[in-house]
Amino acid sequence: MARLTIDNLRKAFAGTVAVDDFSLDVADGELVCLLGPSGSGKSTVLRMIGGFEQPSSGAIRIDGQDVTRLSPERRPTGMVFQSHALWSHMNVFNNIAFGLKLRRLSRAEIRDKVEHALELVGLAGYGTRQTFQLSGGQQQRVALARSLVLEPKILLLDEPFASLDQHLRERLREEVRDIQQRLGITTLFVTHGQDEALAMADRIVVLRNGQCEQADAPDVVYRNPQTQFVAGFIGQMNFISASVEGGRFLHPDFMLPVNVPDGPAVLAVRPEALDLASAQADQGAIVLRSTDFGSHIMVDLQLRDGTRLKAMTAPDQRWQKRASVHLNVGQFALYRDNHLLTIGQPVGGSEQAPEVEPALSV
Amino acid sequence: MGRGLKGLLLIAIPVFLVGWLIIYPIFAAILSTLFFDGPEGLRFSTASYQFFISDPYSRANLALTLWTTGMCAVLLLIVGLPIALYLRFSTNRFADLVQSLAIFPMFVPSIILSYALIRTIGPNGTVDILLNAVGLPKIKSPYLTPWGPVIGLVWDHLPLTVLMLTAGLGSISNSAIEAARDVGAGPLRVFWHIILPRMGNSILVTVSFTILGIFSAFTLPYVLGPASPEMMGPFMLRTFNALYDPLNAKTQAVISFAFCLFFGIFYVWSIARNQKGQSR
Repeated sequence: MARLTIDNLRKAFAGTVAVDDFSLDVADGELVCLLGPSGSGKSTVLRMIGGFEQPSSGAIRIDGQDVTRLSPERRPTGMVFQSHALWSHMNVFNNIAFGLKLRRLSRAEIRDKVEHALELVGLAGYGTRQTFQLSGGQQQRVALARSLVLEPKILLLDEPFASLDQHLRERLREEVRDIQQRLGITTLFVTHGQDEALAMADRIVVLRNGQCEQADAPDVVYRNPQTQFVAGFIGQMNFISASVEGGRFLHPDFMLPVNVPDGPAVLAVRPEALDLASAQADQGAIVLRSTDFGSHIMVDLQLRDGTRLKAMTAPDQRWQKRASVHLNVGQFALYRDNHLLTIGQPVGGSEQAPEVEPALSV
Repeated sequence: MGRGLKGLLLIAIPVFLVGWLIIYPIFAAILSTLFFDGPEGLRFSTASYQFFISDPYSRANLALTLWTTGMCAVLLLIVGLPIALYLRFSTNRFADLVQSLAIFPMFVPSIILSYALIRTIGPNGTVDILLNAVGLPKIKSPYLTPWGPVIGLVWDHLPLTVLMLTAGLGSISNSAIEAARDVGAGPLRVFWHIILPRMGNSILVTVSFTILGIFSAFTLPYVLGPASPEMMGPFMLRTFNALYDPLNAKTQAVISFAFCLFFGIFYVWSIARNQKGQSR
């Protein structure tokens, strides 16, 4: 088990900067998720740690040893690829045993280790199967066993569930998390699925344009997003653009007391932090649609300036299409130029419904 | 019924042409070397084949053809595989130039290539002139030796070999190779354990294809090769044209065809096996 340190990593491809000044410390046994949209540089970071890309500058250290210029075969890392990357000319046993054979282990030792690895991923007795006889989920488990059997110091997972269906993905990510915790192996996991990151990670690193936007525990990233990008990328978020004047966030439809300097700002509110109350006809926001998810109802709303919002309400509340509603804002965050200005509750206390003062009827 | 008939009509012309211009002449040639009209009617005889087998000159020609074909196949793999590997895995701009150079011989007619080689490596050719200019002795020219056609045929067949091997390498994903490197395999082991087993089929197809082309080659062996022994192509032409001996020319053709048929069947079998593998 090991500690991974990344210092000021930078990677440029023919003039395009893919990763820019990226630093990260991963503690022993920690599972860190690199999360970001396509092209954010998360896979490039992982590939540089695995040795498949050479950084333009910066350093990668595993347990203090600089591995930045080592080739992949000489690094103590194990990578699971998105496409499984199993070798179709070998059966399951030989796929897992290949790395052990290269290390010249005895036959008995190889057999024991492979069987143990197969048991670990729940595929005991599958050794003689051909890889094309396995389902997508089973293939990914073989790929995981192939990496784990070599007992790498760092396990790298590059969107390993991307090609699987939703149900299988959810089951497999729980299994992977379980195996990772049992072995206590330091793991880096790349995904563009926020639910995957929230469900699995000890810490989430949100990347954008090759730079780290925020690196925190999942609940911190969700509840205290430090940038507007993170706020919008993790979970559902409503954004309302307006300006702050004289300590008040002034929207044409309502105002909110805030303690930040004057200027343009973006109010961010989660759907679950919006309460709805019935309003008179032609006053307040308009209900566009109401979708029943069983555990809650998601209401799509439109403000009078055209801004669309989502509000999560209790399943016993029914909202008719085109009904007028007042909004009560709970916890909110305020951003300017992508940077956080403040996170808080509206003046009036967190327990009761926040005081949103309608400038016009909302 | 309508769709079935349309399907048959679509393939009718090529099937008819194959039957008329290929299948019929083959059987006609085989039969005409085995059955003869005589005073007592149709007579079966294998005399022309017995002559071919017993004639040292014919046997030497067949042996030279087999040697040239085998040598070319080996050299094509030795030369073509590194180029194909380079083209498949290189990401720099130089790869485009290498690809253009590797494909270039495809657009050079054999006769022009033959004379270019004579002017380059023939007696008193460019190489000799350059060696002489720096005071070195002349090379032992491969012109009119068995190596002459080998050099020409390898040059001529290189583009097809490289294209087929590159296509075979294309089916091996980058992640399969990266996964092998990740578990500790260096470049040589990746080639031996991952690349080679997965392109065995495309190597078989490439070899079958080049052998088919080289076995029946004419221009390059005729212009660059020795007068005796000679490859089957020039041998057949000379037997037919200069010796006015159509029976023995046909017998030589049937024997050549039998060898090519063997590699042809091998090629078809490889293709069928490959398609079966892909449909899994």
